[in-house]
Amino acid sequence: MLTSCSEHLRPAFRVCCEPQLIAHSNINLGKFGTFNSNQIIDRPYHLTYEFLEQEDAKAQPKLRVVPAAELHAEALGSDHAAPTESKDDDAPAEGGGGVAYDIVGEDGEVIMRNNRLTVDDPSRQTLSMDEIEELKKAGSGSGKDIIEKIMASHLGIEEKTKFSLAKYTLRKSRKYLKRFTVLPLDIPILTEYVTEKEAYRIMELRDDSLGLICSWANVHSGATRRVMTAEDGTSQIGGGRWLVVDDTGGLVTAALAERMGILYPHTEEESSDSEDGNEENLPVEHNDDTPATTTPAASTTPATTATEDTHMPDATTATTADVPNGTSPDQPRAPRKPRQHVSQSSASTNTLTVLHSNNQPNLSHLKYFGFDSGDPTPSHPLYTHLKSLSWLQLLSPTDDPTYFEPEIMPEETLATLKSSKRGNYYRKRRRWERTKRVVDETRLGGFDGLVVASNMEPATILKECVPLVKGGGQVVVYSPNAEPLVQLCDYYSKERRTAYIASQFGQQGQLNGKRKQNGVDEEEDDVEGDDEEDNFPVNPMLLLAPALQTARGRQWQVLPGRTHAFMTSKGGAEGYLFTATRVLPIEGKVEARGLRGGKKRKTGTDTSAPA
Amino acid sequence: MAPAVSPFLDPGASSSAHSLGILQLKRDHLIPTVLSDASSTEYAEGNVVNTRFGSFTHSSLIGKPWGTQILASVVDTGSRGGRSKKRKREANGEGNAAEDASRSEEPVRSVVKAATTASSGFAHLVPPTPETWTLCLPHRTQVVYTPDYSFIIQKMRLRPGDHIIEAGAGSGSFTHAVARTVFNGYPGLEQPEEKDEQEVNGTTSRKRRRRQQRHGHVYSFEYHKPRAEQLREELVSHGLDPLVTVTNRDVYADGFCVDAENENAPNADVIFLDLPAPWLALKHLTRSPPPPAVVKSIASDTAEPPTTTSAPRPPKPFRSPLNPKTTTRICTFSPCIEQVQKTVAAMRSYGWLDIEMFTMEHKRLEVRRERVGLAEEGLRGANPSPATVQEAVQRLRDVEDRAKVFHGLQKEKQEQIMRRAEAKKRGEQAPAGEGEADGLKKKTEGLPPSKHDRLERAKKESESRALFREGRLVCRTEPEIKTHTSYLVFAMLPVEWTAEDEEKARRKWG
Repeated sequence: MLTSCSEHLRPAFRVCCEPQLIAHSNINLGKFGTFNSNQIIDRPYHLTYEFLEQEDAKAQPKLRVVPAAELHAEALGSDHAAPTESKDDDAPAEGGGGVAYDIVGEDGEVIMRNNRLTVDDPSRQTLSMDEIEELKKAGSGSGKDIIEKIMASHLGIEEKTKFSLAKYTLRKSRKYLKRFTVLPLDIPILTEYVTEKEAYRIMELRDDSLGLICSWANVHSGATRRVMTAEDGTSQIGGGRWLVVDDTGGLVTAALAERMGILYPHTEEESSDSEDGNEENLPVEHNDDTPATTTPAASTTPATTATEDTHMPDATTATTADVPNGTSPDQPRAPRKPRQHVSQSSASTNTLTVLHSNNQPNLSHLKYFGFDSGDPTPSHPLYTHLKSLSWLQLLSPTDDPTYFEPEIMPEETLATLKSSKRGNYYRKRRRWERTKRVVDETRLGGFDGLVVASNMEPATILKECVPLVKGGGQVVVYSPNAEPLVQLCDYYSKERRTAYIASQFGQQGQLNGKRKQNGVDEEEDDVEGDDEEDNFPVNPMLLLAPALQTARGRQWQVLPGRTHAFMTSKGGAEGYLFTATRVLPIEGKVEARGLRGGKKRKTGTDTSAPA
Repeated sequence: MAPAVSPFLDPGASSSAHSLGILQLKRDHLIPTVLSDASSTEYAEGNVVNTRFGSFTHSSLIGKPWGTQILASVVDTGSRGGRSKKRKREANGEGNAAEDASRSEEPVRSVVKAATTASSGFAHLVPPTPETWTLCLPHRTQVVYTPDYSFIIQKMRLRPGDHIIEAGAGSGSFTHAVARTVFNGYPGLEQPEEKDEQEVNGTTSRKRRRRQQRHGHVYSFEYHKPRAEQLREELVSHGLDPLVTVTNRDVYADGFCVDAENENAPNADVIFLDLPAPWLALKHLTRSPPPPAVVKSIASDTAEPPTTTSAPRPPKPFRSPLNPKTTTRICTFSPCIEQVQKTVAAMRSYGWLDIEMFTMEHKRLEVRRERVGLAEEGLRGANPSPATVQEAVQRLRDVEDRAKVFHGLQKEKQEQIMRRAEAKKRGEQAPAGEGEADGLKKKTEGLPPSKHDRLERAKKESESRALFREGRLVCRTEPEIKTHTSYLVFAMLPVEWTAEDEEKARRKWG
C-alpha cells in the first residue's frame, strides 16, 4: 500500500492502494510520476520518499528518503533547537521569531503583522498560469524549485503574517511537492482507503467503531483454549470461537481476525515455497516479525519477507498454482507429504464462523491480507480458522444439497475413473465433510461472542444467533444508523421483558398476579395469541444490559500557536453499536427486589391457577 | 491461589473457586468478587456478597455456568452488626472496596439462619472482561474508559504477540484491555496450542517453535508505589501476572528498560504514556542515543521540577527499549492542550512521524417509549397532555359542553326554586320533582365524563393495554456524558534506516 502524502500534517491524504508490491515493476502515482518498485522494496515502512531532481527529464526517476527533521521543519520552526538537517529553508521570512501577539507597540512598531493590509488579488502572483505549467513541465524533481519560484514571485509575501505564510507554503507544498509515504496495509489503512472510495461497501464503518466492536465483542486470541462441553453433555462452550454476520465485505471479519492473530499470513516458510525467486535473499534487519527470525534456524529459511505487502504476491502466486477448494496438492515439500492435505475450516479453537446470506460469503476485503475466500491458500491461518455457512445451512441444513453425503464409491470403481473425475469425486467428498462439520458444530452453539454488521433486520438475526452464544458471551451489533438498533433495544426493553414473563407464565397456567387481581384475564390472549411473534420477535430474557452507544474520534491540528480541532471532517453515518451480554435465565418465575410492587407477588401467584 | 488460566482470557464453562467472577446487578452496577469456598468468620453460610438486591453466598456462585441468573439467599446480616469495624478492616485488606460499601448500606433484616433461597432478588454471574472490569474496578486514579482504549488499541495497531510499554498504569483498566489484546499464549504453557496446531494445521515443528517464541507482553510502569503494589496483586488474582510486568519506577529519570534477566526487554512495539509530562519520557524512547541539545531544549521548556536534569547519574550504556525491527507506535493520553503541544513538539524533535491528535466523543443513548395523549391521564411514565390538535379540540369541547350543561342545570335549579317560591306565594302545589330528576339524568347522560371518571377509566384501560409497544420509540443521549476525557496523540517511529542500509538495498534491487 502506498500513500501519496506530500505533507504529513494533512488530515486526509490521497491514498492509493497497491494490493501487492511486485519487484521490478513500475508504480504509477498519477501526476507525481512513475518509479520502479525496487526503490522501495525491502525498505522500512512509514518512510517518506521524494522524487529527486534530475538533469535529464527522460531518465529513470530517482527517490530520496526525506528525513523526519525535514518533514517537521515547518512545524518545528524556530521554536525548537532541533538539529534540522534540511539545507533548504522551506519557510523563509520566519521573521517575528516566535512572537505571537497581534499587537502594535506603543511607539507604533509592529510587533506582529496582522492581516489588515492583506490584498486579495490574484494579480499579486506575478507568475502566470502558463508560466507555472512551463515550470512544472521542465522540473522533473521534487517540486521544491517550483514552490521557491512561486513564492519569490508573490508580491505580497512580505505582508503575510507568520501564520498565513505558513499556510500558503503548506498549500503550495501540498500541490507541488512530490512526496509519498509507504505504509503497511492494515485494518485502519484499509478502512480509510475503502471509506474514501466506496464507504457504502463497508457500511460506512470507521476506525473508531471497529475498535469499539473489537473491544465489546471481547475478541482476542483463543489459541490456547479448548472447547468445553456444556452441562447437558452435547452443546459445546467456548474455545475462542466467534460468530460473525458480516455485510462489510469481510472488513469486520478481518478486524476480528487481526485481534485473534489469524489475519496475516505466516511469513516464513510458506512464502518460500511459492517464491518467484526475487525475494530469496532478503535481509532480516527490519523484518516485521518475531525475534526468532534472527536465530540461525530462521536465517536458513531462504525468504523472510520484509513486509506484509510483499507477502501478498507470495500468497497470490501460491493460490494460482493450487487447485481450488482445498484440494490443492499443498506445498511440494517432501517431508510434508504424509499429511499434505489440511482440511479447510478444520480448526476447533480460535475460529471465526461467518454466516452469509448468499451461497458464498462475500469476504472480498480479505484479499488484501492474502486470503481469497473462493480460492484459499492452505498456508494462510484463515484457511483453517475461518468457517462459513449460509443461513439456509444453519436453519435448515437438510434443505441444502451440500449437506448430504455424496455416495461412496468403492476403490475399484474409483480406479477405473478418469483422473479428473476422481478429483471431482474427492472434491465433493471434502466439500461435504467440511459443510457437515461446520454446520453441525455451529448448531451446537457455545460461541464466545456474536458480532453483527448486517443490512438485515437485526432482530431476525439475533433471534437465531443469540441462543448459539454461550452464557456470559458478548453480543455486538453495528449499524450505520441508530434506528434499527433503537428498535432492537426496544425489543429487549424492561417493559417488554416483564410482559414476556407474564405471557410465558400465563401459558403455563400461572397467572400474572397483577392481571389476575385486576380481573382482566381475557385481554391476556391479546399478548399471547397470534401476535406473540409481533410482540416478542426475540426472547428478551436472553440478553442482559442491552446498551446503545456511538463514538467518534475528532481530529485536531497541533502546530505551535495554532492548535485547534479540524474545521471540517466527514459526515455521513454516525455508526452505532448495540452491546449486551448473553445470560441464562433460571426456569420459573423470578421476582426482582427493590422494585415497586414486589411484595404483592405472593397474593398474585398463590391464587388458584386455572388448569 | 491464582488460577492457571486467567478468567479474562478463558473463563471456562462455569465459575470456579479462587477465580474472579462479576455479579451484575444493573447495567452499570457490577460487583467483582474473587470466589472463595472457604468458611467465613462472619457468616454461617461462608463468604457472602451483600447487595441491595439481596445477599449472595459464594457457595451459590461457585460452579455455575457463566451468565446464570442467581437467586439471592437468605443470609443473617443483622446479628453481626457490632463487628462492622473489624469487617471494614478486613474488607480493605482484601481490596474489596465495592463489597464493603454495599455491606455498610445493607439494612438489617429479619434473622433466618440457613442458606436458603430468598423469596426475591437476583443477579447475573458474568465472566470478567476488560469492559466489565473497567466498570467496577477500584478507582485509584482516573480510569481510561472503554471508548478511549478501544480507539487507542485500534489506532496503535496492537496485535497478539506485540510488546507494549504502558507508563502510568493507574487503575489498571488499560492494562487489562491491552493484556487481552497482546495475549497469544502464556509463556511456558504451550501444550494446548501445540497439540491444537498439530492436529489442525499439520505444519512442521519448526514453524510452531518459531511462532511460539514471541508472546505478547505488557510492561507496565507506575510511579506511585502503593498503586504499583495493588496492581501487581490484582493481576496475580486475575491470573494475568505472566503477561504483565509491573515496575515501580520514575520513567522520566530511569527510562523503560527493565532490568530483567532478559536483556532484550521490553523490546516494545507499542507505547502508551498516561503521564503528566510525556515529553520528558520521550528521550528514553529513541532508537539511538538522542542528541543532548534536543533533550536539553525539551527539558528546559517545561516548568516541571527537574527530576530529570538534577541528580547526574553515571552514564549508562544506551539501550533502546524499542523493538528495532518494527515501526514503533505511540499514544500519549493527556487531559490538557498544553501537555499536547509540548508532547507534539518533543515528538517532532525526536523524529516521530505521522503525528495525529484526536479527542474521543462518546455517547450512550437511552431508548424509551414516549407516550403522550389524554388517555395517559393519571398513568405513570407518560405525558397526559393532548397528543393531537384534534384531541385538544375535543377536550376543549368536552369541557365547554360540561360547563354548558352545568350552567344550564344551575339556571334550571334557580328557576325551579323561584317557581317554587312563587307557587308557594300563590299557595299552589309544588310541581312534581320526579320529572325534573329524569331530565337531569337525561342531560348528564350524554355528557363527557368527569375528571374522576376519566382517571378511573384510564387506569382500568391501562391494564389491558400493551404499554411496552405503545407510544413513540425515541432515543436520546443519556443524562451524563463525558464531554472530554483526554487528548490522544498518536505517532510512529520508523525503523532506523541508515545510508548504508539504503545502499545495501539499492545494490540488491538494482
